[in-house]
Amino acid sequence: MLTDVLETLVHGLTLGSMYAMVAAGLALMLGVARLINFAHGEFFMLGAYAFWFGYREYELPYVVAGALAVAAMVVWGLVYQLGVIRAILARSWHVQLIATLATSIVLTNLAIIVFGTQPKEVPTKLSSTILDIGGFRLAWQRLLVLGGAVVVFWALQRFVTRTRAGRAMRAMSQNREACAVVGVDVQRVALVTFAVSAALAAVAAVLVSPLFNIFPDMGTGLTLKAFAAVVAGGFGYVNGAIAASFLIGVVEALAGSYISYAYKDAIAFLIMIAVLLWRPAGLFGRRIGI
Amino acid sequence: MGRLTAVPLVAVALAAPWLVALIAPGQQRYIVHVLIYTALFAALALSYDLVVGHVGSLSLAHPAFFGAGAYTAAILATRAGWPFLADVAGAVLVAGVLAAVAGVPLFRLTEHAFAVGTLGFAVVAWIVATNWVEVTRGPLCITGIPKPVTTLPAWYGVALAALGVVLVLYLGMTTFRLGRALHAVRDNEPLAAAAAINPLRYRRLAFAVGGALAGGIGALYAHYLSVFCPEEMTMALTVNLLVILFLGGVGSLRGVLVGAVLFTALPEVLRLAPTWRLVIYGALLLVIVVRSPEGLEGLFRRRAGAR
Amino acid sequence: MALLEVRGLVKRFLGIVAVNGVDLDVRRGELVSLIGPNGSGKTTLFNCVTGFLGADGGRVRFRDDDVTNAAPHRIARLGLGRTFQQVSVFGRLSARDNLIVFLQQHQEERWLARLVRTPRLRRLEKEAVARAHALLDLVGLGEKADAPAGSLSYGQRKLLAFAAALMPDPELILLDEPAAAVNPTMINQMKEHIRALHRQGKTVLLVEHNMDVVMDISQRVVVLDHGQKIAEGPPDVIRRDPAVIEAYFGR
Repeated sequence: MLTDVLETLVHGLTLGSMYAMVAAGLALMLGVARLINFAHGEFFMLGAYAFWFGYREYELPYVVAGALAVAAMVVWGLVYQLGVIRAILARSWHVQLIATLATSIVLTNLAIIVFGTQPKEVPTKLSSTILDIGGFRLAWQRLLVLGGAVVVFWALQRFVTRTRAGRAMRAMSQNREACAVVGVDVQRVALVTFAVSAALAAVAAVLVSPLFNIFPDMGTGLTLKAFAAVVAGGFGYVNGAIAASFLIGVVEALAGSYISYAYKDAIAFLIMIAVLLWRPAGLFGRRIGI
Repeated sequence: MGRLTAVPLVAVALAAPWLVALIAPGQQRYIVHVLIYTALFAALALSYDLVVGHVGSLSLAHPAFFGAGAYTAAILATRAGWPFLADVAGAVLVAGVLAAVAGVPLFRLTEHAFAVGTLGFAVVAWIVATNWVEVTRGPLCITGIPKPVTTLPAWYGVALAALGVVLVLYLGMTTFRLGRALHAVRDNEPLAAAAAINPLRYRRLAFAVGGALAGGIGALYAHYLSVFCPEEMTMALTVNLLVILFLGGVGSLRGVLVGAVLFTALPEVLRLAPTWRLVIYGALLLVIVVRSPEGLEGLFRRRAGAR
Repeated sequence: MALLEVRGLVKRFLGIVAVNGVDLDVRRGELVSLIGPNGSGKTTLFNCVTGFLGADGGRVRFRDDDVTNAAPHRIARLGLGRTFQQVSVFGRLSARDNLIVFLQQHQEERWLARLVRTPRLRRLEKEAVARAHALLDLVGLGEKADAPAGSLSYGQRKLLAFAAALMPDPELILLDEPAAAVNPTMINQMKEHIRALHRQGKTVLLVEHNMDVVMDISQRVVVLDHGQKIAEGPPDVIRRDPAVIEAYFGR
């Protein structure tokens, strides 16, 4: 019994790590560039397919396939930014939402056409090797996910506090007008932020794909849950989004195991709505900045 | 729309099935079917425009109310043997109450969060429809929903009547004082509050009425097809509606009607697979919303103004 | 008893205390100006009094009602009108409709009744239209009645917003910087309008930076600095008050 609970918890933390990396990117874009990107989950989906392509079709080593997938997503992120985002950055959030929603639909359906609806699998050595501690069983890949998440967030923190680009991002999230006056290249910072958020989602995809199936719709569901986390954590507050993501992941895993598997996807939204009813400004209130 | 131009249009609309029989007798069944779809979609789009176009709330929850109405009617008709008009009334009531109740927590959210919240609501509704098998039969769908009328021209009459009802309500809500209040809330919410208008009350009103009407259309749709499945209440429906609204002209009666006609006619002309259709609609929506968010109506007005 | 009574109003933003325990009385028929250097909390006070910001402490009373933290539409309904610092109109509505919007809610409120155009509603609408035209003429925008408000110039929109606030005949009018960013002719126009309101017995509270305007038309001046009231009195007294001079120049 205890091992079941522990395994469910680990599963929840795995989910939470995935949601957190995706949500962090979304929160970054919101905080820094005030951009709503409904096609964010597609970075994960396309990143997962890119990883599958490299790992399964070209039989590249895990790390190489992973790195290439992340690079591909950064490139795609730049293309998307220059092509679509730049045109909508200054527009109302209605326009942003609909435009990015439209993009998401296009990408998802193109993925269906190109890859088909059959889910793809990317089993790796780590995902099939199980660690067994007295009945408590856990795939090594899950440890990789958790470890990876810690490393990623540590790196993000360093990036945001230590590098010039990162500090520019922070400044922009706090006071955009002042940044433009002081000479910060607002467009460039937005570009960098976008690349970072795409990379975050891609890393999550590379870490998590071996554990779950890859299918074209997966981006949409992730976007929604990531948004739920972002909204619950306090709009645009990255650490809040991360915390809320872990909460959602754990509750979803527990609910899925012990209450109802079919309705587990509804958990994220129910949490979000509950949080917002209790604290309309999010769990951590309206914190400014990242 | 001027009264004078409306009359011949209405006459043509009413006589359509017979006109089609004269012009293209071999294709009559097919064309009337498309006309029925168009009328229903136009009504659904108008109900959505109340929320998005006139009070300015970007709700993504419409499929939930469409589905709630459809399932209510389907269940009442197949399990409880209710007559047609009664189960449609039931559908309108259930969808309306659902929208009114859901509006309470949802409208506490600010703009972006509201959109996300409504999308989440729609997803939860779909999840319930797919998994609550005892009631909705999940992916097996509810089948054998009785048809109140059997001939296509008669169905066309039903669809037109529904469109007529929706049209009357739409006009009633978007003109005169109520329309002015809704538009004030849409254009400048704090200023509307300074004018003693309670923005929340009007947003919830538009949301509830829009939801109720969507439920009614859902009920008609379910009766027309005799089948209703959870796939009918996915985000694809929202995308379709958004394309209609933004293509034609959000917040404008003429625009929405034009959008609905184009939108339902085009795919039939193009005969594409659903996936490709969505790719094209998505791309179309993207281009329209970025380049010309006021749609064809905006283009038309600008040309008319420039003259 | 004062028409408007503010007691110990406090408002905090992220650690900064924008309004720090301000008391303010405005008696019926008075013309009071609220002045102070930038950041002294004037507009914040306005927003708290009119319900657009929630107060963190203190009380606001308008006539017999406690309106502390009440919703802005409720406060407006009670007879308190205001303009905004950033001139605010309904861009897509006509100038006339902009005005009617401000009156219709006071005339009747049951939305269900509005779906049916009863003779009573039609009559109220005609009255509203007539009043709107009268006010448009008053501020010199009579010819622009049908023009969308978004197409008007800044000064015209300012006059429109002013007229709109007057539509429901409020007892107390709060004007947020009526003389800001407009040419001297307009300023004189505004001064005349405000004086006319005062003569009609309306109560006016204004926030203003333009000292000439303030000294010229005010009966009483209240000075804020760093969220606190530092002086209060007739214009000549305030003009010479050392604390006020210090606040404006001594930094």
